[in-house]
Amino acid sequence: MNIAEVKNLTKYYGKLKALDEVTLSIPQGRIIGLLGKNGAGKSTFMRCLLGFLKHKGEITILGETIKSHKESIHEHIAFIPDVSSLDDRLTVQQTINYVASLNKSWNAKKAQQLLAGSDLPLNQKVATLSKGMKTKLYLLITLSLDVKILLLDEPTLGLDIVFRKEFFNTILGEFYDESRTIIISTHQVEEVEQILQDIIFIDKGKMILFEDVEELKKKYSIFTVPSDKIEELEKHKPKLITKTLGHVSAILDSKIKIENAQVNKPSLSDLFMEKVGGSNV
Amino acid sequence: MYKLKAIMIKDWHINKKSLLIPFWITAGFYAFILLSVAFAYFKGDMNFSMIDLDTGSPVAETNYSVNMAILSLPGLMSLLFIIMLTQGALNEDIRKNCELFHRSQPVSIWFRTGSKYLMGITSNWAVMLIIALFNFLVINIILAIFHQFDFYSAINGMILSLISFMKTGLIIGSITFFFSAIFKDKAFFQGFAILLGVQFLFMIVNTMLNWHLPLPLTYLFKLIKLNPMEGLENDVASAGLRNHISTAWNSILFNWKTLIQLAFSGALFAGSTLIYKNKEIK
Repeated sequence: MNIAEVKNLTKYYGKLKALDEVTLSIPQGRIIGLLGKNGAGKSTFMRCLLGFLKHKGEITILGETIKSHKESIHEHIAFIPDVSSLDDRLTVQQTINYVASLNKSWNAKKAQQLLAGSDLPLNQKVATLSKGMKTKLYLLITLSLDVKILLLDEPTLGLDIVFRKEFFNTILGEFYDESRTIIISTHQVEEVEQILQDIIFIDKGKMILFEDVEELKKKYSIFTVPSDKIEELEKHKPKLITKTLGHVSAILDSKIKIENAQVNKPSLSDLFMEKVGGSNV
Repeated sequence: MYKLKAIMIKDWHINKKSLLIPFWITAGFYAFILLSVAFAYFKGDMNFSMIDLDTGSPVAETNYSVNMAILSLPGLMSLLFIIMLTQGALNEDIRKNCELFHRSQPVSIWFRTGSKYLMGITSNWAVMLIIALFNFLVINIILAIFHQFDFYSAINGMILSLISFMKTGLIIGSITFFFSAIFKDKAFFQGFAILLGVQFLFMIVNTMLNWHLPLPLTYLFKLIKLNPMEGLENDVASAGLRNHISTAWNSILFNWKTLIQLAFSGALFAGSTLIYKNKEIK
């Protein structure tokens, strides 16, 4: 069952085409990664899904057509952009009370449980919290909502590695079950690679790929050969050949056989480089 | 309605410091007067009596004028704080980078703007009312002790002055609120500068081409202009103060202009909300 259908989604910022005819169906109960370079259109895609941006094309989420922003959609979707988007002028307690009062789906028991496990200073202003503390607060107010979809737009930007790991572990442990869908847009794909079930590659506003992560990894392998045998790789026309000490590597179709080549399973960032190319992932 | 209540509580937490400033200013003002009196008393310079005070007017007229005058400071403070709060009403969350957080809550945009509108305008009215009542109490006790007190004139003077400031605040606040939906920063000044520019442009065109284009600022000043003391001397001389008060109630509140003012403010609120609603959130 699909929770969202997107057809020919196109978005312009002036003359710049930020999204180009994106069409996809988002299945229920999956953890989906959205991977692209800076300015590839990841945030624009998420904001279009929520109706924050005017767009061309059709978006349907949980049977509701999204043409512009509809408040009712937030009864079913929680959204975490950059954690610094919390309101700095409120205290921690005021923020929790505010979200709790507005959301029918607020689970007070869960909130209490999460609060008990955190060291959040309730009377302190959000402005005075560290980025890590802000993350904990954002997680608390989001994970206390019984929603069907969770959208995470670069949620761990600027956080140190400990908090990034904690963030995704908490999301996985406290939110995810097979009836809920999570879409994560991130640069740091290595950190979420283990939890992603599907992956979307997006580049220059175009959707390059949308596949099951395991299936994708089965399709491709990293072939490494000594540098003097580079032609063995070149004849399969890889997009990118990487040079290491005395060796060269390329990602090729797993079915290809190269004598004496060392074969490894690629990571998502390897696959991204192969499919999209370039740096700055 | 529980959602509106939740948003209003949130907006109160955000704006309470600004809203309470007029109380502190008033308290400071009173503290200064008390200190001055205490200082004079201990220096033996106290020579204070209003009994023989020649106001040049009868008691009722003095009570009426004095009770209008006690609204000057809270009224002007109220207008200032209405401008301060409404000019950031619809752009402050964007500037503070928390617009996405608030927009991601399941609550009608009309409730969100409504709460900000009420917080910007009616909360300042409430502050002005509280200070006005306090001033009323203090000044009229002084009047009763040292001069003479006429409740009817005093209360009418205070309420008419209060309503005048409230209506002026409503219109100025609604205009500034509208500007806040358009401009990201310093909405009042940017909007006023544009109105001023249009005013001069139309004046030049009207003079050069002998046209009669309506002048926006002239119209706004006409709409805002409320003076409960207008014609006081003539009215009192010809038909007495009670007659003037009754005329003042009609000219301040019970007339078509009030309906136009309310409709104008309502239209600006609705327009601001629609502009804000259609803004893209990047």
